[in-house]
Amino acid sequence: MKPIPRRKFIKGTSIAGSALLLLPELEIKRFIQSAPSTGYFLNEFGIDESLCKKLLDKALSKGGDFADLYFEYTVSNTLGLEDGKVNQSYGNILLGVGIRTVKEDQVGYGFTQDLSEESMVSAAATAASIADSAATTNEYSFRRPESGQYYPVDPELIEIPVKSKLPIVQAINEKCFAASPTIVKVNAGFANSVKRIMIVTSDGILYEDAIPGGYLYAAVVAQKDGRYEQASWNLGGKRNFSYYNDDTINEIAEKAVTNATTLFKAIQPPAGEMPVVLGPGITGVLLHEAIGHGMEADFNRKNISVYSTLIGKKVAEPFITIIDDATNMNLAGSINVDDEGTPGQSTVLVENGILKGYLHDKISAKHYGVEPTGNGRRQDFMNYPMPRMRNTYMLGGDAQPDDVIKAAGNGIYVEDVSNGEVKIGEGDFAFYISKGKMIENGKLTAPIKDVNIMGNGPKMLTNIILAANDLEMYQGGAGQCGKSGQGVPVSFGLPTCLVKSLTVGGTQQKVKQS
Amino acid sequence: MNKINKQQQNFNELADWVIDRTLKSGANGCKVNLSKTRFVDIIYRERRPDVIKEATTQSLSLEVFVNNRYASQSTPDLRKTTLESFINDVIDNAKIVEEDPFRTLPDPEYYKGQTNENLLLNDPSYGQHTPEERHDIVKKVEDACLKNGGDKVISVEAEEYDQHYEEYVKTSNGFEGSTESTEFWAGAEMTAQDEGDRRPNGYNYMGSRYFGDLPSLNDIGRIAAERTLDLMGGNKIPSETLPVIIESRNVATIGNGFLNALAGANIQQKRSFLADKRGQKVASDVFTVIDDPFIPKAFGSKYYDGDGFPARRRELITKGTINEFLIGWYYSRKLECEPTSSSVSNLIIPPGHRSVDEIIKELGRCILITDFIGGNSNSTTGDFSIGIIGKLYDKGQFVQSVAEMNIADNHLNFWNKLVEAANDPWIYSSARLPSLVFEDVIVAGV
Repeated sequence: MKPIPRRKFIKGTSIAGSALLLLPELEIKRFIQSAPSTGYFLNEFGIDESLCKKLLDKALSKGGDFADLYFEYTVSNTLGLEDGKVNQSYGNILLGVGIRTVKEDQVGYGFTQDLSEESMVSAAATAASIADSAATTNEYSFRRPESGQYYPVDPELIEIPVKSKLPIVQAINEKCFAASPTIVKVNAGFANSVKRIMIVTSDGILYEDAIPGGYLYAAVVAQKDGRYEQASWNLGGKRNFSYYNDDTINEIAEKAVTNATTLFKAIQPPAGEMPVVLGPGITGVLLHEAIGHGMEADFNRKNISVYSTLIGKKVAEPFITIIDDATNMNLAGSINVDDEGTPGQSTVLVENGILKGYLHDKISAKHYGVEPTGNGRRQDFMNYPMPRMRNTYMLGGDAQPDDVIKAAGNGIYVEDVSNGEVKIGEGDFAFYISKGKMIENGKLTAPIKDVNIMGNGPKMLTNIILAANDLEMYQGGAGQCGKSGQGVPVSFGLPTCLVKSLTVGGTQQKVKQS
Repeated sequence: MNKINKQQQNFNELADWVIDRTLKSGANGCKVNLSKTRFVDIIYRERRPDVIKEATTQSLSLEVFVNNRYASQSTPDLRKTTLESFINDVIDNAKIVEEDPFRTLPDPEYYKGQTNENLLLNDPSYGQHTPEERHDIVKKVEDACLKNGGDKVISVEAEEYDQHYEEYVKTSNGFEGSTESTEFWAGAEMTAQDEGDRRPNGYNYMGSRYFGDLPSLNDIGRIAAERTLDLMGGNKIPSETLPVIIESRNVATIGNGFLNALAGANIQQKRSFLADKRGQKVASDVFTVIDDPFIPKAFGSKYYDGDGFPARRRELITKGTINEFLIGWYYSRKLECEPTSSSVSNLIIPPGHRSVDEIIKELGRCILITDFIGGNSNSTTGDFSIGIIGKLYDKGQFVQSVAEMNIADNHLNFWNKLVEAANDPWIYSSARLPSLVFEDVIVAGV
């Protein structure tokens, strides 16, 4: 069924914990003899340069300007625990090639799961159909673009056998139950994948990569005085197996259990406009939704973003600088190259309050006459790339976190959010606060939960009036950004900052103040 | 059962081979699901193709049971040469996980009783439609949207999407099911110029199982434009307690928050605010919810559920009283109760007799909610909070569009405020629900 054509961020399940865990010796599967990022598709599937040239020729046989091939082989597995037992193993294999032909800003796209020449040529013919003139003549000479390595992994450890994950998940369960007698249920799991890709473009790029991904999570239910509350946490990203150690397990369990048990004291804040302090870290999802999506260049190229006419203009206070960055080590949104072959890089969106630029793929970069920024991303070979965020964050300010809270006076403090959504054209957004606190007379007081905050992205940006010096990046691996039916892993970050006013959707009407 | 075609016969033969290999490799039981999807997606912008996308996908999903140990895995590679190692991998994974006495295939007795009715899910004309016909659909929708959007239009994207889906499911203990279905969708998304930098974006998508049942293409484009223009001037108003009408196409968003708490997994895992409410009245008399899998050509109609249980019509909630939870085989064993079915088909709330327009005229000051944004529903506590977009009326007269506003409540309170269902079920979804009227809702704004 057709997805609703808007953007949603969905925070996946999260966390759990265990103590004094001794990691098992990792069983190594030697799927590959060579380094993971070169020659994989040639060795395993016989995809050589001459075949790629043939496919590109077919994709450009009706006069497209540009074509690319995106080969993918992804193996994923999730191990799940429920009622004290690691009793579920779910796996999936993705294999295929997506072939794109671009004519001006038009896209033809075909894909096949069958890597036979006949099927791939047929997919290329589908892509070619976007154009309707004479074939483009091309002489291809491929090069590997220079890029950083933002998720170095040991080639021999890139496959994590299911058996090696099992004691980690068991440990999380034990840790959560040990953390509080109120815990009555624990769901925990370890999801991981290895995505091997090869990108071949008609403008001469040939790049292979092996991309790890995954997260460890716990979701707990606590019971007290007949009431139940739930919370979760996860940690992950593009990491080695060694990341999932005692420290990680302990942090997951501690956060999940603390978050759940705190909710027994939580109240619903009054409804209406009030100052909102965004705590550091995960609240950066608000920056991602409320502001970042509107700066994706495809929305601006089509004149449908509220930021379409604001390049070079003041959009925030001078202390605000916002960056979308592919180069943070091991974060979920980090990429060595994007899915069009452009090297990952750090892109300044807002500098000292001025909107400096957008997030570009090759199509929008050509439209604006600028270089691509490495934001052309896609969910998998079944989807074509489009401008997407990577790790989006705002730099810290000069204030201390306590000073930011004090400056709010009376309002709310947001610690954890989920289910954000934005309307690009209007800039309106909404976020669900799963954990926070009331701010009364400049001090944090009662916990709050299960309320929405609503606002308008550009208005919120101008309403950020104070930022602390405590920028944190979200370290989770379960966050997926959705756009046009495609999900891609992202991360985000924020320092503690004060938004002058947002609408809070509580269940009590605010007492009118004279 | 649905008539088996040649593709499904091929699937049948492959499924038999997979089951045989899986059992011989050490599994006690297994379930194979084979599927194939063909789709075409065409998007127009500025009166020319913006995206043309077309492909066929296939998948084999294998669930194995090895002495109460369970693993599931899927692959697109259906070659027997590669399936050999695939089957061994799945069995190896099952052997690694811990034993769970509740993990078995269902008792075959529960497979009995699948309907012989033809639910008319498959349009036999699929495959006869030419690329030109598809492009023509998109052009007509785009034309209608542009025409009705007038000089406010910044951008229109019109789209046609169609798919043909075939599925064959077989278990080692006697279940066999197949489905062949088609879908045709058309729609448009429009962005308009409002005051300042504000650019409201609205959309309308409508679909059908049969090509000939697609609504008027002119209407599809016109409604997209009208819904976008309705958003012009949207702004928040002071927080207020007043009646709201949730438009039919959006009722499922808020209703799902309630229905999720009926799920067996949530009940057994203590994540359901309804766990102890079966047989109790928790909502107003207007709240009757029927799960009907047998509506011909409907999007949620089906012959069997995910466990292989035959689809059946059931009344989940009657006049606010919960009759039945959504419990599949696995959680029925954990909960020590009879299974029902863990999934729903077509959801129905009996429609009323009045139109939304008629209701608005009598409500005084009220908000018609035309879309939701963000938000969440907590299945454990029943609390929800969600952003709203809509139109404010007073004594039947339109006052202004509203945006950046919110409603929040607990489901156990909220559904008792339901006072009327309109006569307009949204049939372009498996949630065939009418617009609903709620009294005394706190709408948060300024």
